[in-house]
Amino acid sequence: MAIEQTHVNFDHSRFSKGLARGLAGALLFALPMFLTMEMWELGLYIDRSRLLLLLLVNIPLLILLARRIGFENISTWHEAVRDASIAYFLGLLASAFVLSALGVLSVGHALPEAAGMIAIQTVPASIGALLGRSELGGRDDDDEDAQDPLDDDAQSGYGGELFMMAVGALFLGLNVAPTEEMILISFKMSPWHAIALIVSSIVLMHGFVYALSFSGGHELEEGTPVWHALIRFTLPGYAVAFAISFYCLWTFHRLDGIELTQAIMSTVVLAFPSAIGAAAARLIL
Amino acid sequence: MAKPSKSRSIESGEGHWIEWLTGSVSAIAVIALIGWVGFEAATQSDGAPDLSVKTISSASRDGGYLVMFDVENAADRTAADVVVRGEITAGNTVVETVEITLDYVPMHSRTRAGLIFRNEPAGRSRIFATGFSEP
Repeated sequence: MAIEQTHVNFDHSRFSKGLARGLAGALLFALPMFLTMEMWELGLYIDRSRLLLLLLVNIPLLILLARRIGFENISTWHEAVRDASIAYFLGLLASAFVLSALGVLSVGHALPEAAGMIAIQTVPASIGALLGRSELGGRDDDDEDAQDPLDDDAQSGYGGELFMMAVGALFLGLNVAPTEEMILISFKMSPWHAIALIVSSIVLMHGFVYALSFSGGHELEEGTPVWHALIRFTLPGYAVAFAISFYCLWTFHRLDGIELTQAIMSTVVLAFPSAIGAAAARLIL
Repeated sequence: MAKPSKSRSIESGEGHWIEWLTGSVSAIAVIALIGWVGFEAATQSDGAPDLSVKTISSASRDGGYLVMFDVENAADRTAADVVVRGEITAGNTVVETVEITLDYVPMHSRTRAGLIFRNEPAGRSRIFATGFSEP
């Protein structure tokens, strides 16, 4: 199938297939969050300015993500924005549908409540919708990679690598961030546990990408010491995962009134799954 | 660092200076993080949670009087299931008792909550924590 400009010969079946994949991705990736009680409650009590910030931050995130892995083989920012909007809408649709189907959302709810509950679920669902196209589609066109004009610059650059780690961290982190277990674990553990957790997060991240021979793993050039990759990729990756974890916990009101050390410990707990998500993103995406 | 299609990618030996700058900043941040938590680990005491209640505000509402308060925990241990009781006394008799259970009061942190009295609490109420469990 030759890839032409979409407006030249628009392929309806291909486009609708992309939409269906997007919806499937939204369901697949956000289902754990749809089924989490804390997420429903958060929709009711989350500070509206924090919710707004989350919804706004999601826009550039989706656009950048669409630029890398869109619904179609995209090459311009214009198309990236279009795909991001579609993904956002599919996320909205999926969360409204699932929450209604589960009976969490009913006609009896006041509009602000319902809007909050749907809005907060829309964020992970829209990320899922974008990822769904890429991962479920499995690059069915052999020549897609070869023709991809982004392959040499934005896609594989250092910034792109860090961005994909951020997406991976957000992806796994968001699933568990709203649960009470994150803070409960941090209350149960001592600072020594926290240090052990930080070190093992970093070791696991590094091992995932460099030591274990997963397909899509990275290798170092001959003669490069191991600590080079640790400093250049793994530690920044952990810093990204940590920052994302902190943002998630703050957004979900888990750090309100909490003293700094305790807040750091909670973030360390969440940074553990986030770090693994970040490492996995380097392999998968 | 061009990716050879979808197979394993190879990191170039010498990174760009931006990579090294980002890497150094991250390394310093991670070391500082471990250092901070390590310092806390070394200096923390094992004492039981130390809870105190501070009244923030008191206001008349429909159907009662709302008293907002902070529960503070001054110790290095987190308290869970903290039961806070509010009493209104007249002389030696307790006129009204209200109670609330807070999920957590983390170490060195405060948790805000409210109690609703049916009687006017001004000047004759007291609010105190009656118990907790370890998380």
